[in-house]
Amino acid sequence: MEHDDGVDEHDTPAEVDATFRTLRRVAITHVVLFLAAVMGVPALSLTLGWWSGGRLAGGMSPGFAMAAFGLYAFFLVIGLAAATLSSAVEARMLGGRHDDDNDDYPADGELP
Amino acid sequence: MTVTSAGTLVALIALVALVTLVVRPRGVSTVDFYLAGQRVGVATNALAICGDYFSAASFLGVAAAVYVSGLDGVWYAVGFAAGFVPVLLFVAAPLRRFGEFSIPDFLGRRLASERVRLVAVGVVQIVILSYLVPQAVGSGITWQLLVGRGLPGLSAYATGVVLSTAVVAGMVAFGGMRGTTWTQAIQFLLLLGALVWLAVVVAGSGFNYSAAVGDLSAEPLANPVHDDTGWHLQPESNHLDPTAPATFGQPGAAYGPLAQFALILTLVLGTAGLPHVMNRYFTSPTGTAARMTTVWVLGLAGLFYALAVMLGTAARQQIAAAVDDHPWLEELTVDGILRVPEHALPVLGRIYGGDSGLAVVAAGALVAVMSTIAGLLLAAAASWGHDVYERHINPRATQSQAVWAGRASTAVVALAAGGLAIAMQPADLTPAVPSIVAAMVTWAFAIAGSALTPVFVLAIWWRGTTAAGATAGMLVGGLVSVSMFVVGALPVGPGLGQMLVTPTLVAAPLAALVTWLVSRATTPPDDVERQWLVLHGTAADRHAERLARLTIASLGTTPRRSGHGTQRKGERDADR
Repeated sequence: MEHDDGVDEHDTPAEVDATFRTLRRVAITHVVLFLAAVMGVPALSLTLGWWSGGRLAGGMSPGFAMAAFGLYAFFLVIGLAAATLSSAVEARMLGGRHDDDNDDYPADGELP
Repeated sequence: MTVTSAGTLVALIALVALVTLVVRPRGVSTVDFYLAGQRVGVATNALAICGDYFSAASFLGVAAAVYVSGLDGVWYAVGFAAGFVPVLLFVAAPLRRFGEFSIPDFLGRRLASERVRLVAVGVVQIVILSYLVPQAVGSGITWQLLVGRGLPGLSAYATGVVLSTAVVAGMVAFGGMRGTTWTQAIQFLLLLGALVWLAVVVAGSGFNYSAAVGDLSAEPLANPVHDDTGWHLQPESNHLDPTAPATFGQPGAAYGPLAQFALILTLVLGTAGLPHVMNRYFTSPTGTAARMTTVWVLGLAGLFYALAVMLGTAARQQIAAAVDDHPWLEELTVDGILRVPEHALPVLGRIYGGDSGLAVVAAGALVAVMSTIAGLLLAAAASWGHDVYERHINPRATQSQAVWAGRASTAVVALAAGGLAIAMQPADLTPAVPSIVAAMVTWAFAIAGSALTPVFVLAIWWRGTTAAGATAGMLVGGLVSVSMFVVGALPVGPGLGQMLVTPTLVAAPLAALVTWLVSRATTPPDDVERQWLVLHGTAADRHAERLARLTIASLGTTPRRSGHGTQRKGERDADR
């Protein structure tokens, strides 16, 4: 099912499997970073005195500053990075032209 | 309640009702009633998800938890905000691409099993009810503070519960997902507006955030308790170092070492299993749009929770300093500290904006409650109406009958939640937890994260997931989490008790393990490879985008409509 815009509305199982594996790597890499940050901030509060006892300008500790606004900026950055990379992977690995349309699987242009 | 307060509330309800009326679904299609025609743009859907997600627990509860426990209360904000990162990484795009109406519908179709669907309906209803009751409690508390009077025969608290639940149930039954989407988007903007206004006036008054944290941390943290001698302040125990006093800026005022991680993980994993939030992803036009919607939600959530934490801190400092100038605070406080921590933001609003300020914040709280109740009732309607009525009770139901079944189920679920909220006495429970509203919502997150999220993620990312495995995983996750709650309510010691009431740390890995073990011993659905194409391929996305382009192009080539076509394209581009 080819169209004049060069995009095929038909994915092959091999393409989807390769994309799935790449996206899984992207997701696992990002979730490891995410967990390191979200668990690391309370862990530092429990283990390092200066992290929760030290004072930045004005009196707020580094740990409180991270929990109060630093982590939310990190969530946005990591989410934006993961979404951009995942969409780029899909755009690059799926939707190319196919010479052979006789695949075992029907085109799934329709939502179930 | 003053005329200004009453006018603000009436104007708010009227605005929301008007939007519901204007954008209500005209047809009787279930896709329109439950999924808003699957044409909700990125920005609109992100705002609506925020309306769904930012409940009384977020608006009143997070500030209250920070007010009572300092840094240990901030973990609520961190957990609530962090929950959308796993959603983005593992759930949003594949879930939308697979389609369907609800979490049970997704699991039932993915695993080709009606048993999985029905077990998921049971779990989803428990999560919905656990989430609905604290919303109703929050509306009762807000009404109590704002109005102080009840309808004949009802207390002020019960009146708030009854009115908010009844009004929202009516709007949902009438407006369906399309009406609810727009009202939730507007409600979130009103809610965020109230929070931003309060932050601006507090900051404008000379409030120094960093210095306030430093000052509050310089002395032991103490909160009001009521015993035989009456109300008095009692220093909080330090759960990390019993020999040192608990302070505002350091951990330990509410949770021990393991409980801190258990709370955050419970909230992080719970978000992906919340039915009212996940159902919103089915309304996106494509999987890519669902993913980008989540990025917007992360940005909005960060802003919202950063402000809530700041205002909780401001309330702790400013209310104590304002008692001398505001005599009305005496009956709400003990030595400058609020008896009910959920009053922190409304009281701060009244200090800085008088009765109008109180009305703005109280309206924000009611809006938060109403928009979340709306999402929960819609999720309940989709679950009962589509997964039970259409599938099992009346498989030959017409679209109209199915929609009416959904409407009827909203009324039944609303009645149940309202009844439970009235039966509870939040004042009796408040001393046991930092914020009763936030704590009750945490129970819903715990069940969702223990019973649904592990199965959900495995069904999306592991071909070998089977119906038997999913059923066993949901049952184990649900039963273990509920059992841990029950044991945690017994006098088992403060550290262990706190861990037990946030059970996801134990229950979710156990549910995943059971799902994996049972799936290994059973056979996946025959058409799993075809399902994989739908879940992880983008053919349907490209098809939808191509249709949209063709529609815009055809409108552009029609001279009489060319202006509309250009405008629609511009709107769509902006929305994406």
